[in-house]
Amino acid sequence: MFATDDTIVAIATPPGPGGIGIVRVSGARASDVAAAILSRRLSLEPRLATLTDALDPTDQRPIDRVLATYFPGPRSYTGEDVVEISGHGSPVILRQIVVAATAAGARLAEPGEFTFRAFLRGRIDLVQAEAIHDLVTAVTPRQARVAFDQLEGTATVAMGAIDRALFDLVARLEASLDFPEEGYHFVDAKAAGVEAATLAEEVRRLVAASRTGRLVREGCQVAVAGKPNVGKSCFFNELCGVQRTIVADEAGTTRDLVTETIDLGGIPVTLVDTAGIRATGDAVEAEGVRRARGAVDVAAAVVVVLDRSRPLDEDDCALLEATVGRARLVVANKRDLPAAWCPAEHPETAACPHVVETCLIDGSSTGAIRDALLGVLLGEAPSRDTPAVSNIRHIGLLGTAGAALERAAAAAGAGSSEELVLADLAEARHAFEEISGKRAPDAVLERIFERFCIGK
Amino acid sequence: MGAERFDVIVIGAGHAGVEAARAAARMGCRVGLCTLSGATVAHMPCNPAIGGTAKGHLVREIDALGGLMGEAIDATGIQFKLLNRSRGPAVRSPRAQADKRQYGGWVAQALRRQERITWIFARVARVTVRGDRITGVELETASGTPGGERLHAGAVVVTTGTFLNGLVHIGQKRTPAGRAGEPPSRHLAESLKALGLPWGRLKTGTPPRLNRHSIDFSRFEEASGDERPVPFSFLTTRIDRRQIVCHQLHTTERVHDIVRANIGLSPLYNGQIEGIGPRYCPSLEDKVMRFPHHERHHVFLEPEGLDVDEVYVNGYSMSLPPDVQEALVQALPGLGDAVLMRPGYAVEYDFVQPTALTRTYETKGVAGLFLAGQVNGTSGYEEAAGQGIVAGINAARAVAGEEPFVLRRDEAYLGVLADDLTTRGCLEPYRMFTSRAEYRLLLRIDNADLRLTERGRAVGLVEEGRWRRFEERRARYETNVRRVSGTTVTLADGTRTRAALGLRRPDTGLAELVRGNALELSVAAGEEDADLWSVETHFKYAGYLERQQATIERARRMEDRRIPVGFSYEGLPGLSREVAERLTDVRPETLGQALRVPGVTPAAVALIGAKVSA
Repeated sequence: MFATDDTIVAIATPPGPGGIGIVRVSGARASDVAAAILSRRLSLEPRLATLTDALDPTDQRPIDRVLATYFPGPRSYTGEDVVEISGHGSPVILRQIVVAATAAGARLAEPGEFTFRAFLRGRIDLVQAEAIHDLVTAVTPRQARVAFDQLEGTATVAMGAIDRALFDLVARLEASLDFPEEGYHFVDAKAAGVEAATLAEEVRRLVAASRTGRLVREGCQVAVAGKPNVGKSCFFNELCGVQRTIVADEAGTTRDLVTETIDLGGIPVTLVDTAGIRATGDAVEAEGVRRARGAVDVAAAVVVVLDRSRPLDEDDCALLEATVGRARLVVANKRDLPAAWCPAEHPETAACPHVVETCLIDGSSTGAIRDALLGVLLGEAPSRDTPAVSNIRHIGLLGTAGAALERAAAAAGAGSSEELVLADLAEARHAFEEISGKRAPDAVLERIFERFCIGK
Repeated sequence: MGAERFDVIVIGAGHAGVEAARAAARMGCRVGLCTLSGATVAHMPCNPAIGGTAKGHLVREIDALGGLMGEAIDATGIQFKLLNRSRGPAVRSPRAQADKRQYGGWVAQALRRQERITWIFARVARVTVRGDRITGVELETASGTPGGERLHAGAVVVTTGTFLNGLVHIGQKRTPAGRAGEPPSRHLAESLKALGLPWGRLKTGTPPRLNRHSIDFSRFEEASGDERPVPFSFLTTRIDRRQIVCHQLHTTERVHDIVRANIGLSPLYNGQIEGIGPRYCPSLEDKVMRFPHHERHHVFLEPEGLDVDEVYVNGYSMSLPPDVQEALVQALPGLGDAVLMRPGYAVEYDFVQPTALTRTYETKGVAGLFLAGQVNGTSGYEEAAGQGIVAGINAARAVAGEEPFVLRRDEAYLGVLADDLTTRGCLEPYRMFTSRAEYRLLLRIDNADLRLTERGRAVGLVEEGRWRRFEERRARYETNVRRVSGTTVTLADGTRTRAALGLRRPDTGLAELVRGNALELSVAAGEEDADLWSVETHFKYAGYLERQQATIERARRMEDRRIPVGFSYEGLPGLSREVAERLTDVRPETLGQALRVPGVTPAAVALIGAKVSA
């Protein structure tokens, strides 16, 4: 449905990492949505950039330090109330802000929908509206369907297979209701429930595999953490192959977040070299430490760099404990020096699944850390050639479809009759058709007449 | 001589025409009902049965509004069956075979009792129009030419079924006819075409009829109806009439061989027929040719009445030459001696693309001209009657200068029917199915009166007796819903829970809750089942209906946003010429309807919406 009276959200800046990224919220509830996801409790001043934090509304955890600006309609990009939230350019962070906004009641915008609304409210003229023309006419739901059926790609094929199986199940179950006296045994509710459960399982698998897909498409952020002077910046430089951060022996050299994006086995990985985490009296460094903690919190994975030549101290152990349960790579650096402890035996590290011992000054560890980090990022996710859904909107719709399929399976299992099972299956089918394009309204009947000899 | 004046003229007294005429007359209009013969009122030229999945829903809704069909079939049905009895309440649907002579007789009698209806036994030559407004009709002369008597009316309802340029096919023999043996309407077809209405051609068919005395029924499997018939009408409490049995048999390879050997003689397969037939009601030729791997097909022998010789061979519709039809009948095991009383045939006819109509069935081009029934591309007596009653109500309201009477998709199957027809048109004869109704769980036979009787009352169609009964029943329903809501019960497995939640379990029924608990419900004698049924369903579906409510409300917002008559799609930036033309043809009445016009994207509708509110 392309409603124009609800509130929409999307990342407004081009995809890929950049210095700054903007999340735009537009619609009557824009300022409510902003209030729900920003730490600032006062309402935003119109057209005044305000420094605040974006929060995850589920647990109030900060996502990013952001600049938020409120543009009341009609003097805004779309002509509606708009809030623009500028965060750091990482796609991961921006996506978290978008997810937070949807949790607060906004709907993910369709491609081109901001421009479309701007056009509807007379904010852009006909020349600019050329793009609108394409949006309005290019893709009818049926054309979308045709396009989808012709798309190659493992994810599309996997979604298409579930979509077709679901459609076929709906057609047979509908036939059993509309043609009860044809002498056909189409499918009974119980058997339909079993099929729905199978489809739900397939949807779950697709969603699980989607992590890989998202990584490939949008990349992820990896925080490199550790006490000062254990070799974090060396690790960073080793992977980037460029000397970007100041590397010195004095503790506390890296005072700000330094980021660099690398290609790690096809995944764009943004490495964040955090300031050494330690108590400090220096105000500038303290700010660096605060940001470092934030970066560690939001990153997809954490690299904990430790110095193998010195015994683990309280700071090291605190860092290890704080990152338990996270996707994490433990780097025991300074392999070239005599070992003060052994990662495989030390109680703090013995249980870690991903540990690598390195020497980060001579280039001998590059291959090992790349492989180890890739292993952490892909985690238990299936190998790369399994179908993976990479579009956040699709993942949301798959979630809806999966839940509806599970309800259908449960209802059928409990003995509910066909029309109730079908109510849930219809919801799943609509979610799939949001992805794959709508079928014509008569499609179910078409399928029934094509497959079965109906009619006395 | 001064022309006779009516408020509403109805052309045709089939299932659409009789509902339209009765509705308009009951609402106070002077109605002229034009028909060729008093003997074919509410005639059933094909299967003599009413109801079936989704069609039974339509009949209940027609009845709830105060229409004829439900009472007519209850009074003349000879085998009743509630379909989908083992399934959920939303898809249960009554069906009954009619004694077809009695059925037509009953309806004709009801119309004769109705004040303000004048019967006009003549063929209409044309509708008369001044500007863009209907003025009445002109009859044919006794010799069948235009130029006969003129009748004036504020509204005209055309319900001519398959008669417009009807052409009957039996083998290679083609006869211009609306039905076998009845001449078609040519002049009227021309006069309607001259108004610029869009046309198409469809086809339908019927099986041969056999003489019952030539059949030894003891050889076949019996097919019986329900022991306790469930009535169609809310006014009927019980049906005690004698019920008949039908018989079931199957086709054989030999039958299929005969079809294949003679397929070149079938007008369906030799290019003689251009019209498109219904896929849900395939001819025997289609069954054999399109599903060659099927070893057999069902055939039913259904008497056309209690004391009628003709037996309807359900599932055996065909248009092959009579000698081949006889061979095909006699090839059925057990029918070796069967005698054909008349052959099956196919009929091709002109229909008006219903996208030319609004949901009141008034043409968009000519004010006061309404079309209802098979002429709009539908099939089925129930679909026809459903259009007839809505067209009749609206013709009466148009004459009185009142607001249109429109039912939405979330209110009635009648709403789904009108909306489907007027937004999408027909590519094949349109039949109702429950799967067409996206709000199926809401549109049930048990609540048809709760949904519609008040609407029928408001337009003046529901008379005092029906209204009092309805008010009593609604009061019982509301009391019972309150009582169940406020009661905690012990279920069969010992759990204590609120009755409302217990009923959501598939294995828990209201009757057993009443038996095992201190839950007293208000029921009327003779209507216990119906009373319990609607209350139980209310709670069984509650979870699903709550989830659906948001969708309904969202859709309703779109349905409530009207597109002004004469809104111009030309030059609306962003709309392709093709979509603009389509929208100009269909002229959707609301944004919701626009969204259902094929090829129109949600973005296009948003664009129209912005323009409309600007």
